[in-house]
Amino acid sequence: MLSRDADACFWIGRYVERAEATARMVDVHYHATLESGLSDTASSDSPTPWDSLLAISHSTEEFYSKHKLMSDSQLIYFFAFDTENPNSIISSWSRARENSRSIREQIASEMWEALNIFYLQLREWDVERVLAEGPHAFFQRVENASHLFQGILNRTLMMGETRDWLDVGRFLERGDQTARLLDVKYHDLLPAYREGEPESMEPLGVGSTLDMHGWIAVLKSVSAFEMYRKTYRGGILPASVVDFLVLNSQFPASVRHCVGRVEGCLKRISGNGSGSISSAEPERVVGRLLADLTYSRPDEIILEGLHEFLEGVQIRCAEVGTAITRAYLSY
Amino acid sequence: MSLFQDYETESFYDEMFEANGKPRPHYQKLYARLSQMSPEEFRKRTLLADKALIQQGITFTVYGDEKGTERPFPFDLIPRIVPTPEWELLERGLKQRLTALNLFLHDIYHDQKILNDGIVPRELVVGAVNFRPQFRYADPPAGIYVHICGSDLIRDADGTYRVLEDNLRTPSGVSYVLESRIILTRTFPSLFSDIAVRPVDHYTTQLLANLRELAPPGREEDPNVVLLTPGVFNSAYFEHSFLAQQLGIELLEGRDLFCDDNIVYMKTTRGPQRVDVIYRRVDDDFLDPLTFRPDSVLGVPGLVNAYRAGNVALANSIGTGIADDKVIYAFVPRIIEYYLGEKALIPNVETYLASNPQDYTYILENLDKLVVKAANESGGYGMLMGHKSTQKEREEFAERIKAEPRNYIAQPLIALSRAPAFVEDHCEGRHIDLRPYLLYGKSGITLIPGALTRVALRKGSYVVNSSQGGGSKDTWVLAEGQETLTQQMGGMSQTMSATGMSQSFTLPGSPSTLQANEGGAQ
Repeated sequence: MLSRDADACFWIGRYVERAEATARMVDVHYHATLESGLSDTASSDSPTPWDSLLAISHSTEEFYSKHKLMSDSQLIYFFAFDTENPNSIISSWSRARENSRSIREQIASEMWEALNIFYLQLREWDVERVLAEGPHAFFQRVENASHLFQGILNRTLMMGETRDWLDVGRFLERGDQTARLLDVKYHDLLPAYREGEPESMEPLGVGSTLDMHGWIAVLKSVSAFEMYRKTYRGGILPASVVDFLVLNSQFPASVRHCVGRVEGCLKRISGNGSGSISSAEPERVVGRLLADLTYSRPDEIILEGLHEFLEGVQIRCAEVGTAITRAYLSY
Repeated sequence: MSLFQDYETESFYDEMFEANGKPRPHYQKLYARLSQMSPEEFRKRTLLADKALIQQGITFTVYGDEKGTERPFPFDLIPRIVPTPEWELLERGLKQRLTALNLFLHDIYHDQKILNDGIVPRELVVGAVNFRPQFRYADPPAGIYVHICGSDLIRDADGTYRVLEDNLRTPSGVSYVLESRIILTRTFPSLFSDIAVRPVDHYTTQLLANLRELAPPGREEDPNVVLLTPGVFNSAYFEHSFLAQQLGIELLEGRDLFCDDNIVYMKTTRGPQRVDVIYRRVDDDFLDPLTFRPDSVLGVPGLVNAYRAGNVALANSIGTGIADDKVIYAFVPRIIEYYLGEKALIPNVETYLASNPQDYTYILENLDKLVVKAANESGGYGMLMGHKSTQKEREEFAERIKAEPRNYIAQPLIALSRAPAFVEDHCEGRHIDLRPYLLYGKSGITLIPGALTRVALRKGSYVVNSSQGGGSKDTWVLAEGQETLTQQMGGMSQTMSATGMSQSFTLPGSPSTLQANEGGAQ
């Protein structure tokens, strides 16, 4: 497969996933602000859901460089329609579309059309319309568009390298997003943890009512709430949430599952090293990360510092991306 | 109200109607069908077709337009019909012309007999921007220079077809021929019934077969054929990706390729892979920075040498632009006679050359009546439409002509034929041209029975280029005793009814139930 085409697939996978992740997180946070009655108060000392959302997407500085106060409409604009925000839904989607335009002869025409049609629809929306019709309806559309794209891909694309590259991008992005989400939220939701006294949290997870809503929002942000309930009948406990979102091998948005999928794709792509290019490095980096995720225990991670662990995961996801680029995409 | 109420042919040759307002014989069925349709219904279909175009991203880019980088290609649903005898004449004439032009190219890049014999003035050839002396004495496979040709024809006030321009470099538009046929059959299937329209969808099959034949020696078994595009920002990018998809070949940019020891490779995730045939949609100038423009980032350093060495084939070949130069155009009837000993079957448009002293004076004195063109521009740029020009524009052109007489030609304004086009809620006559596509392979020249009919959608406009408000129409070549589209569609519906039958086989108790289940759960 042509390196440039593989690169385009990798980024289509990433950008579509990013658009969906952004839509889901903003949706959940928007509704969380409504329930907690925080929507228009930026005065409280404790971080608002919006603050953590900005932190998750590394956009705090970018946002405050343009806006003094945060209002719902500014935040929705920033995350959905601001073309200057590289992580906004419109930016991600239009880059996915541009990439797919450059390889439309490689993929099924329905895949290109799915990206193109939704791009054209996105351009007919603005903040006023989102607020008038209900933000949830809008964000749901973004998620559905991503799912439609994924469904068409599953149904039409050959089980081959093109698909593997799309998946590498998609799962690398998803794993990274989950790690970031948990990193920021954990910090916000456990004040004791924030103050560096993890020992005082015994037993892990006895939080206030507000915290409980916060944890549910975390799970809902990655569509994990219902699956979590089925898996852990003991209730919402931070250690269990960490276990589920980081270490579970079967939940599609858990970090371990995503990294495992990336490894599988890379192995197929390299044909286990039989290609002419040295494919050892990307597989080594991703394999080592997967081993750590597979053999760690949640309580151990928390006691040694969840933030450090998750930060390490994010850095290593970035390393996987770099290794892939060096080995396959621009040599 | 009917679509054709108050339709005026005025003084023009109308494709659909005779001067007395009666539909021409080959349009009668279509006319009858369209007349029964309400303008609202027609409008609905038009919107449907537009939506399909936008959703599929069948758009073009307008250069210099910062905001809307892409627009849907305007498509008029009323087809243009070419009856069989007319098409047969075009077929012979176009094949004749392409054969002669290819011989001309071979000659001027080898012995230059035609220049030595004084048929074409030497300075016009060797002084031309698109003459590539670097490529003299190189031998393209089978002596074919022009593999894909899409020349522009028009019809004048008498209905005579004339060649307006040859396009021998990287002619575009064929994707619109193929796509507009698909869209018309989808949005308006009823139009086709009982009209014998010849299919066009074998274009890509023929093109791929021709390209594969060009493979270098030893690589014929399974040659790696690719399409080279300048990239997503090129106005014809849609077409490049469409063709690559239809041909099942890789779509490459210059940066995907490199040359090593006169062999061309593409960079893949499994390392370098050899490339054998390049259908290039990049102009000569940008093809190879080592040979042509050194500032080009679209090309591949070393490509020209690899081509000369015979290790890779290019379609079209290098240096073909000299033969579609607007000055050389004036000599094409003489070129045909020189190489083939025949009269040109399709005439040119009368052409004045500013490099010829008599013509020079005539052009400058009649700028308000003539159409002036720069020899090497395309896409409707660098053109003066005398009858609509301002004094200032004429003065500017006069200056340019005086500065560079070699670079300008002039032609009388031809009253281009018109065809009905749908405007809001009725039809009006609009000027059209015709661009048929020829493929030149080792086994000969194929003309695809269909064409791009471009239509100047602005009222009164003579400029059909998409960059200047032009649109397109599906072009129907009628068949007499040949395979037709309606026959193909009929074949399709038979397959569908066969599927219906297989469902009834699975009735419980019928012996076929067992057979039907064999591949299934059991």
